[in-house]
Amino acid sequence: MVSSVRTDLPTAPGLARSPWTWVLGVLALLGLVAWIYELGHGLAATGMRDVVSWGMYIFTFAYLVGLSAGGLIVASSAEVFHIEALRPLARLGVLTAAVFSAAAGLMIIPDLGQPIRVLNLFIFPNWTSPLVWDVMIITVYFLFSATELWVMVRRPERKATLTTLAFIGLPLAVLLHSITAIIFGLQMSRPWWNTALMAPIFVASAILSGTALIVLIAWILQRYQGLAIPRATWRWLAGLMVMALFVDLFFVASDYVTIAWDNIPKDRQVLDLILPGGPYQLTFWFEWVIGGLVPFIILASSKLRAKASNLALAAALILMGVYAFRIELVIPAFVNPLIQLPPGTSLGAVSSSGSFQLIGHYSPTWVEYLITLGMFALIALAIAVGYRRLHLSRTIQEAAEHVAD
Amino acid sequence: MARWGMVIDQSKCVGCWTCAVGCKAINDEPLGYWWNRVLTTEPDSSAQIAAPATPAVDVPHGTFPNLDLAFLPLACQHCNNAPCEKVCPVGATFRRDDGLILIDYERCIGCRYCVAACPYGVRIFNWGPAKREPDFVIGYGSDYRTDGRLVFEPVRPVGVVEKCTLCVERIDAHEQPFCVDVCPVGARVFGDLDDPRSEVSVLVNQEGAEQLLAELGTDPNIFYLPSSHPNKVSD
Ligand code: SF4
Ligand code: SF4
Ligand code: SF4
Repeated sequence: MVSSVRTDLPTAPGLARSPWTWVLGVLALLGLVAWIYELGHGLAATGMRDVVSWGMYIFTFAYLVGLSAGGLIVASSAEVFHIEALRPLARLGVLTAAVFSAAAGLMIIPDLGQPIRVLNLFIFPNWTSPLVWDVMIITVYFLFSATELWVMVRRPERKATLTTLAFIGLPLAVLLHSITAIIFGLQMSRPWWNTALMAPIFVASAILSGTALIVLIAWILQRYQGLAIPRATWRWLAGLMVMALFVDLFFVASDYVTIAWDNIPKDRQVLDLILPGGPYQLTFWFEWVIGGLVPFIILASSKLRAKASNLALAAALILMGVYAFRIELVIPAFVNPLIQLPPGTSLGAVSSSGSFQLIGHYSPTWVEYLITLGMFALIALAIAVGYRRLHLSRTIQEAAEHVAD
Repeated sequence: MARWGMVIDQSKCVGCWTCAVGCKAINDEPLGYWWNRVLTTEPDSSAQIAAPATPAVDVPHGTFPNLDLAFLPLACQHCNNAPCEKVCPVGATFRRDDGLILIDYERCIGCRYCVAACPYGVRIFNWGPAKREPDFVIGYGSDYRTDGRLVFEPVRPVGVVEKCTLCVERIDAHEQPFCVDVCPVGARVFGDLDDPRSEVSVLVNQEGAEQLLAELGTDPNIFYLPSSHPNKVSD
């Protein structure tokens, strides 16, 4: 049944008049102010020092990269696997892919000590560095999703082109996550990272968090913008989430078991940090219970998952769980250096406890919190603007009417 | 072409930190920066990977009367298969043909990937403006370039990484690294590992000097003579 374009959608107030726009705008601005402060004071304004030398920017970066996957995977699956139920969300998916990959690239900038030299990455690329490959693939991924979005919106009649793009999109998303994973996975200096499972874990957790993100946005649109998302679409999304959740935690658990059984001190030390009772156990509880078991129960129960709001809850919990996983991945890896002998590592700073640290400590400063929060606000704004300017509500509604419930 | 290396005799080292302080002075390392440190360890544990027995320096391991004490002077190992060089996205960290791993302060973008990748924890990032007490430059006092690349500045810019240069400016002037010169007990030997007759080569090939964390395959040019094989380095 092809009906005419719905015109009776509730017309939400223009973006400029929504209080949310202002809240997000102020948050983004505060992030900018914090960054300017950081530029003036150097990275000494952050909680990082020479033992834990990567922090919130990097785990947020890895998180944003993951979130950029789901959209493209949902959009491409609709085309590649002929899943009609996912088609309504195709454009939304590609929009999130473009916005999140751009945000991931931007997130690196405040982490650089010499942000002004960022173009060196393109002028003097050192091809043995996974970071160079990651910068390249993120750039390609962003350009690709922006192009696909443009074709979807401006040249929707080019069906063959769109199919080709969908077929490229899927492997590209997998590549993006694998390369981001090996930034960590190849480093033998950090036993916690140095596992062949790193790429599979990243791909699984990207599909997981990316789909959860789409679910959350779709639910917000249905709840507050009056869009009707078909039940079949929710069913597919729920199925995708539960599968990805299972595979993701299965991989992580395989890693835990290997470390626990081998019981090699340098590996075991890290595991002990995050398992219940350790100083980083919060990430464990978020990953396995709040963002693992609880959403799993919601998604596994046919009664609970029938309600879109429950799916949204599961998605929100999953998003927290995956963020916890990124923290768990980055920070504990630094806490115990391979050579851990008194007096410890030179800090690159003088603190009240001296200029050496034997066991790493890290807590983000207000600068890091504000910059990160500002980035999330900027992302939300970009998606809201894109949603409006590209008239996504209309296309979602049109496609939804083709989906049999 | 020479391949410069060093052998450190742990059986001679008395843990006095003269090399560390000497390095700090000649390279103008600011407060809180140590390119070179003297770690407290126990004999025959060159590849320390477990948590230390005590967080304090100069405290022996074991229970009385079976006490063991040894020192591990640690700076950049100038690896032949250097993870820091391989991960540096812009080639700011580079390996000179004679084995020196150096950092181009004009190119480093401050991503700290190399800090994450170095297994030895010897790289130091310039987090903020450096503090010096007394507040004036000592040591070399002037920039140094090799192949046109700026590998030493008395005051390094905020936001780049620094570490031991193996005293590149002294090596190029046919002198020994400063830490070798100042060691009061002669525990450090410097030389050409490609020359089989050099003292370092003899210590490596015949006296069993070992690399640190050798199992990682980083292949350092710095070697250690364990303290359980005393006095292999001649006086
Ligand atoms: S010891 Fe570390 S900094 Fe020095 S060459 Fe090896 S990996 Fe690089
Ligand atoms: S911090 Fe500088 S030297 Fe280290 S990897 Fe990044 S660009 Fe290279
Ligand atoms: S070789 Fe030079 S820079 Fe390296 S530790 Fe010795 S004194 Fe310091």
